[in-house]
Amino acid sequence: MLPLAITGLGIVSPFGIGRAQFFSAMSDPEAAEARAFSGPHKVLSDPRFARARLAEVPDFDAALYLGDKGLRNLDRATKMLVVAAKHALEDAGLKRDGAFTSVVPERIGICAATAYGSLDSITEINRVAELEHPRYLNPSRFPNTVINAAAGYVSIWEGLEGPNVTVVDGNCGSADAVLTAETHLACGRADALLVGGFEVLNEPLYLAFEKLGVISEGESLSAPGAVASRGTHLGEGAALMVLEAPEAARARGATVLGEVVGFGSAFEPPASAAQLVHASDKAVERAVRAALLDAGLTASSIDLVLCAESGVNRMDMAEEEGLARVLGSDVATLATKALWGETFGAAAALGMAASLAWFAGTAPRPLLRGELVRPVRTVLVMTMGYYGNVSVVIVKKA
Amino acid sequence: MTRRVYVTGMGVVSSLGLGRQAFWAALVEGRSGVRPVSLFDTSELGRDLACEIRDFRPRDHLTAAEARRVGRCSAFAIAATRMAVVDAGLSLHELAQERVSVVLGTTMGEVDVISELESAWLHGGEGAIAKNKLARYGTSLLPIHVARAVGARGLVQTLPAACAAGNYAIGFAYDQIRAGRADVVITGASEILDKVQFAGFVRLGAIAPERCQPFDKQRKGLLIGEGAGILVLESEEHARKRGANVLAEVGGYGLACDAHHITRPHPEGKGSITAMRAAIASSGISDSQVDFVNAHGTGTPANDQVEALVMREVFGQRRVPISSIKSMLGHCMGAASALEAVACVETTLTGLYPPTINYEEPDPECDVALVANKVMAGKADVVLNNALAFGGYDAVVCFARPGVLPEPRARAGTGDNR
Repeated sequence: MLPLAITGLGIVSPFGIGRAQFFSAMSDPEAAEARAFSGPHKVLSDPRFARARLAEVPDFDAALYLGDKGLRNLDRATKMLVVAAKHALEDAGLKRDGAFTSVVPERIGICAATAYGSLDSITEINRVAELEHPRYLNPSRFPNTVINAAAGYVSIWEGLEGPNVTVVDGNCGSADAVLTAETHLACGRADALLVGGFEVLNEPLYLAFEKLGVISEGESLSAPGAVASRGTHLGEGAALMVLEAPEAARARGATVLGEVVGFGSAFEPPASAAQLVHASDKAVERAVRAALLDAGLTASSIDLVLCAESGVNRMDMAEEEGLARVLGSDVATLATKALWGETFGAAAALGMAASLAWFAGTAPRPLLRGELVRPVRTVLVMTMGYYGNVSVVIVKKA
Repeated sequence: MTRRVYVTGMGVVSSLGLGRQAFWAALVEGRSGVRPVSLFDTSELGRDLACEIRDFRPRDHLTAAEARRVGRCSAFAIAATRMAVVDAGLSLHELAQERVSVVLGTTMGEVDVISELESAWLHGGEGAIAKNKLARYGTSLLPIHVARAVGARGLVQTLPAACAAGNYAIGFAYDQIRAGRADVVITGASEILDKVQFAGFVRLGAIAPERCQPFDKQRKGLLIGEGAGILVLESEEHARKRGANVLAEVGGYGLACDAHHITRPHPEGKGSITAMRAAIASSGISDSQVDFVNAHGTGTPANDQVEALVMREVFGQRRVPISSIKSMLGHCMGAASALEAVACVETTLTGLYPPTINYEEPDPECDVALVANKVMAGKADVVLNNALAFGGYDAVVCFARPGVLPEPRARAGTGDNR
């Protein structure tokens, strides 16, 4: 792929809002993790969910960043994405005091991923339809049921007139969004793009995953950084990075936080036609090899793997096996979901954001496997879908 | 190396028939797919018509295991994909490859599954939520099901770009072939008629009481439709090597965002003009070479007026023929521009412009060279497919007769992609 410079980060996370807060939390991730899951959470209000262990964005109030006006019809997911976008544009120096500095509106856009970003609004509208009558549903909330509405609202709030894309590929979404962005930048459709993902906690989402048997309420850690022993905990957040061609970043004197240098993707169906959920070590292997080839890197140049381990045993084992086949079994590996929970479509974006913190000098920990032998310069970010699909992004220190 | 991208097969599930032949014959005839909604209760909603698909039997197209596993939206997509693959003459061996990808569009995917589950939850408590139904939801499942149906093992992706999703998917599929990341991409979009979506459009005041009348002075809104349009895109090299029958070339495409309002188009068509100009320029042609435009033409007052303005702005004094098949097919949301893409390819193959039916009274605000009520024959070397969507999205794809467009320009970063 065309190497791309990351010149700004906007983030809404359980560890704070904005790059400075997030980087600072990443310098002591274990303390940060304790905070992230410290609860009691507020986002699932029914007492039925009181015991749920969640990494929520505490007391998120979009008005602090966006003002009071125009927020009424935005859902939680949209507000998080808009706040992340605003921070990313300012962090990259593309906007100052709300005005563009060195890019024209027609040449900047957004590629944002989510898996269940509209679920909150769809179920809200459904509830009205079911409990009252469809004719009472609120037309100004209805557009939120469309999954690309959040990115659409970002364009309105920030005046982005370039390509506006929402990517859905389950857990692999924000890795795929990187490919989408690279495609549009390489084809000359934009000069800069906001790239990342978002996901929010809500009761229907929690209930669905609990029903599917993947949620764990346990709290104990059997091994540092391991999530396998405790099942999946859900999290939420939004992360957007500004991507642009390295020459363009240099020309405008931007600070380069890191570079995206490779993408790989693979799909392997299960052998049985009756099966739906599928974990494929072969897909992991293929996607990692493809990403290395795309980046022109060898396996030994990967300093750190941010694995997709989520506490679903079958998936985690297939991942470990596939990774070991390409990178060896002692490559330094960190399970990011131990820090901020399962964030589905936002996972790779949060992982990339954390990589930027580690490029800036803070130490990645706690490691799940392996040891760091040198300062982190190259990170492989893994994502694994539930159906045999895998996408991988490689980021490098600039 | 630059590569041309060809359409080599198409499949259709629509209210006007199954398969591209039935679909195109109905469009040329000017038939309407409008009928009373039977999928859900519309009493007290004030509107009861849609272009619903009545003659689709999943087991005619899906295996028993697939039929158990998938929702209605994915079932449409699988059926249309099987038709497209047969049309393309691709064997399962040629498709079961790592360089075969699936990129699909939709607005809401299997949204009816959520309604069903939530209804069970609200009325019967948590115990009433069927676990096996849960697995049917997930917009990301659509391309997974299709990839499994044909054996594709490359990138699987959904681009949910609301009513422009078909064009988004086709465009991105084209990009992947141009970049050398895939040889064959199954692309297009699928959408189902759903109660909540229907009610939402009623509440927005967007649904017409009886007929969809794009560009007519008395137009009263859209009618919702459903269906799937699937296209097989193939690299020039791959198509040539297997001696494929090339239907059309995909030229360039253009994307823009109005950044104006979440549901209404920009009053001056700002993003739409940008997208159309980009589609023309990236195809290596000038606006004088465009022969026909397949309109977004929803039949809402705002859309059609803006689209007419865009046509004047892009083509100036030249009155390029334009038509909206939504007058017959309804607005199939995410699938709309995919089905329209199929129609565009048929236009380049036959030299026929499908009609806009129900057109009676010209609107001075929509002064376009409309193909009114009856099919028209004309030059069809280069055709544009126009789409607008919620979110302020604008997407335009160019289709051309093979051999008409100039050699595509090299894409940045292409060399190291193979």
